[in-house]
Amino acid sequence: MIAFWKRLMAFFGGARLDNDLDEEIAAHLAMQEEEFRQRGMNAAEARAAARREFGGVTQTAEIYREKRGLPWVETAAKDVRYALRGLGRNRGFTAAAVLSLALGIGANTAIFSMYHALLLQRLPVKHPEQLVTLYRTGGWGRGYSSYPLYQEIRKRSDLFSAVFGRTSIDKTQFRTGNGDRPEKAQLEVVTSNYFSVLGVTSALGRLFTDDDDRTPKAHPFAVLSYDFWKRRFGGDTAVLGQTVTVDQDRLTVIGVAARGFRGVDVDHHPDLWEPASMEDVDFADANTNWLWILARRLPNVPVNKVQAAVDVLFEQHLTAIYGNHPNAAYRKTAMDQHIEVREGGVGLSGLRDNFETPLTILMAAVGLVLLASCANVANLLLARGAARQKEIAVRLSLGATRLRLMRQALIESLLLALAGSTIGILLAWWGERGVVRFLPASSGDPFDAAPNLTVLAFAIAIAILAAALFGLAPAWRSSAIDPAECIKSGGPSGASHHSAFRQVLVIAQVAFSVMLVALAGLFGHSLATLRSVDMGFRNQNLIAFSLEMPMSWKAPQTTAVREGFLARMQALPGVSLVSFGAPGPFLGGHSSSAIKVPGSELTAHEPGWVNMQQIAPQYFDILGAAPLLGREFTPSDTAAAPKVAIVNQAFVRTFLPGEAHPLNRVLTFDQTTLVPIVGVVHDIPHQGLREKIGPTVYVPIAQSPTFFGAVLLRAGASRESLAPAIRREVDKLGSDVSASDPKTIRQRIDESIFQDRLVATVGGFFGALALLLAAIGLYGVMAYSAARRAREIGIRIAMGARRGAVLWMVLRGSLVLVIAGLAIGVPVSLLAARRVAPVLFGIRADDALTFVSTACVLLAVGVAAAFLPARRAASLEPMRVLRQE
Amino acid sequence: MSTGTAKTDILQGTLDLMVLRTLETLGPQHGFGLAKRIQQISAGALDLNQGTLYPALLRLEQRGWVRSSWGASESNRRAKFYELTRAGRRQIERESEDWERTVALMARFLRPAEPAE
Repeated sequence: MIAFWKRLMAFFGGARLDNDLDEEIAAHLAMQEEEFRQRGMNAAEARAAARREFGGVTQTAEIYREKRGLPWVETAAKDVRYALRGLGRNRGFTAAAVLSLALGIGANTAIFSMYHALLLQRLPVKHPEQLVTLYRTGGWGRGYSSYPLYQEIRKRSDLFSAVFGRTSIDKTQFRTGNGDRPEKAQLEVVTSNYFSVLGVTSALGRLFTDDDDRTPKAHPFAVLSYDFWKRRFGGDTAVLGQTVTVDQDRLTVIGVAARGFRGVDVDHHPDLWEPASMEDVDFADANTNWLWILARRLPNVPVNKVQAAVDVLFEQHLTAIYGNHPNAAYRKTAMDQHIEVREGGVGLSGLRDNFETPLTILMAAVGLVLLASCANVANLLLARGAARQKEIAVRLSLGATRLRLMRQALIESLLLALAGSTIGILLAWWGERGVVRFLPASSGDPFDAAPNLTVLAFAIAIAILAAALFGLAPAWRSSAIDPAECIKSGGPSGASHHSAFRQVLVIAQVAFSVMLVALAGLFGHSLATLRSVDMGFRNQNLIAFSLEMPMSWKAPQTTAVREGFLARMQALPGVSLVSFGAPGPFLGGHSSSAIKVPGSELTAHEPGWVNMQQIAPQYFDILGAAPLLGREFTPSDTAAAPKVAIVNQAFVRTFLPGEAHPLNRVLTFDQTTLVPIVGVVHDIPHQGLREKIGPTVYVPIAQSPTFFGAVLLRAGASRESLAPAIRREVDKLGSDVSASDPKTIRQRIDESIFQDRLVATVGGFFGALALLLAAIGLYGVMAYSAARRAREIGIRIAMGARRGAVLWMVLRGSLVLVIAGLAIGVPVSLLAARRVAPVLFGIRADDALTFVSTACVLLAVGVAAAFLPARRAASLEPMRVLRQE
Repeated sequence: MSTGTAKTDILQGTLDLMVLRTLETLGPQHGFGLAKRIQQISAGALDLNQGTLYPALLRLEQRGWVRSSWGASESNRRAKFYELTRAGRRQIERESEDWERTVALMARFLRPAEPAE
């Protein structure tokens, strides 16, 4: 070890040590000379004798240097120079190899970097492996739980060492000082033990303590995130003690959290934290689900044990609250809730829940792309190896060892891989930005633009792996020749061996492309199916945005504000029609209600559940979905007018089978007031394209006011030109009213199916890439074999073979390879397709259309790639070829 | 360069021990002094190119058995002096024992015959 270190030092301090050695030898010689002179020799004799006695001065220095430094590094440096020269001479080859590696490595790095950010990276907190999140599922929303449930779970010290809760991260109004211009900030409301349980320290001041949860509304404190403190306050320590206004609450800044801590949500990063005791909710209400519960599990209690215990606890909790509820349907929905205990160390991520499957699929796909590009480069290397056989034979016969030749070949591969990974990392960055563009804005951006060491290490590791994959076999092959034989015959020996191996590689490439093309085909077909879903309405260019007023506002106020706002929207230049619906289309809202339908068997004993929409007049007009029967609501359906309802086709199918005309039927929400059905409309998937549309009841908003909903605009003007005016009108409503970004319905649909668009687009890109690589490989092999058979083909033509037959002969060679690749690729893809079945919409995993077209595409590529070599072969002039010999 | 008596090629590994032992008896010494001393002791029985000494010294230094520093020779010339380290002393002990064992072993094999030299 010491020796190695000294050698390493010596390797870098070469020049100075050389001088030392020269001086030392010179001193030695001088002393010897002096001694000889004292014995009576003259100067010249003494000098010669001294040198004789010493032995070879240069030789000694040479041996000395070799021992001193790291010889293998020096020869490696020589090999690198040699390889660089070789690569520089073959520009075309180098460019092709580096480019295909860059694409393979880049694709892998891009997807891995997202995979890492979303699925692997742990939160920068103490013992992240102990963290679990309690994720509530069931008909009443997901994730969040109630405060009473939180209290019960806190008592379980047999499972958890600590339990804490937090709300979602929301954009809120934020003001500094005395009512400056309002800004937006991301707020996370947390129980006061949040920081201490996570083990996060403060960068400045103090964080919340357990005392900050004692009394509701009595702890007006805020903690800032480090990034926000730097960004908004320039890292000024005077921020401590300042008052900021967050929504309505005036809070005193008490501290700044440690640098690098960005909360427990991977997708959204809070700017500031507020204690849960300041939250405006009914803490005792077990029906208000607002708190996302996280816990630190005891190290000796495994997750499955926690899950079992929480199942029991939650069951008891639900029974205590809902066990005796009179409404059976309500009771059933209430009891049908569960809590999933999930690993929390990687943080919470809504995006992960949606994105995990496509990302895992893409990870597998890019793995295939890398294999395909390795096969391609191996093929190129083999082709070049064949061309360089003579050179290698000469070097072998001059005494180069096979090991040395292989090492050189591998170094060349490694250089290619490194160049490929450098470009690949740039491509990855660009590719990642491309993928991020598919994500809806609401999903946040968990993907750091900054390079990450793990990701970089991954890129380099796969580059080395790739170099080994594509470099080893060609290196072995190219040095396995008999030099004497090769030089004697003047041409490559064992060439048939060579081309057999290349054919195997091409078959592998075709098989990889089959898998990628089939995958892309499945996703493409699935997306097309999804897009062709009957929306039930025509006007997808509508602009829609949500409008939300405070929950505390009473009906007259919300109605007045909404109608005033809608009137001003109607007055905007370019707007031709305005309507409103709650929750409205594609805005993520959901509202349901229990009803009874007199005369329906289904609701004879228990009420049935339906989706609800509270809508303004001209709702269906603006959507472009004229009622199938009856009418839609008009301004005369006021609060005072008789109550009316419109239902969809699914409602008619479910609740109104049989004889009586739908418009002669009634339904009831409260079992006393009968509401006549005045219209029947198409099924419209308000929740998204994948929704299985259930029975839906529409009621006039005037008769059932809400504080939120979707504003719909039909406009001649573009969304971009209208957005600022809309924003201004929203701002006029004051800071209590918030609105989402105006977007067209089409945009919202696109966002809602981002996973499908993403996997289809990226899959298609990779599929095309793999096809291109396979085409290059096929072309290379066919061109090479056609050139080698030139003499044979010439003779055939001279003997009278028809040129068409020659053309077919070459094409057939290519098709045989493609068919062999298909024979491997299709069964494997069919197996792989089963894994992606859950994300496919409306098609089967063994979708015949996809697999048949995949086969056709590859056969077409096989013909196209072989066409040039085939035509060249068919147009050979036999006399020319034979004369060449 | 024949001088009458037979000269032995240097046995692998013996030079290291010779150098170490010489340094032990002489104390800090430069390369030339070492070479002269080794030739003296072997009384010309050893065919040693003085230059061979330097790679050996380097090897010993890399292993931490000797250390070197620049100093002035008897004739006031700048020269590199080599000195035994503590690890070097231990190495001498170890290797001397090895040698004695080997010599004793070989002697047992060679007893009936004439001594080789």
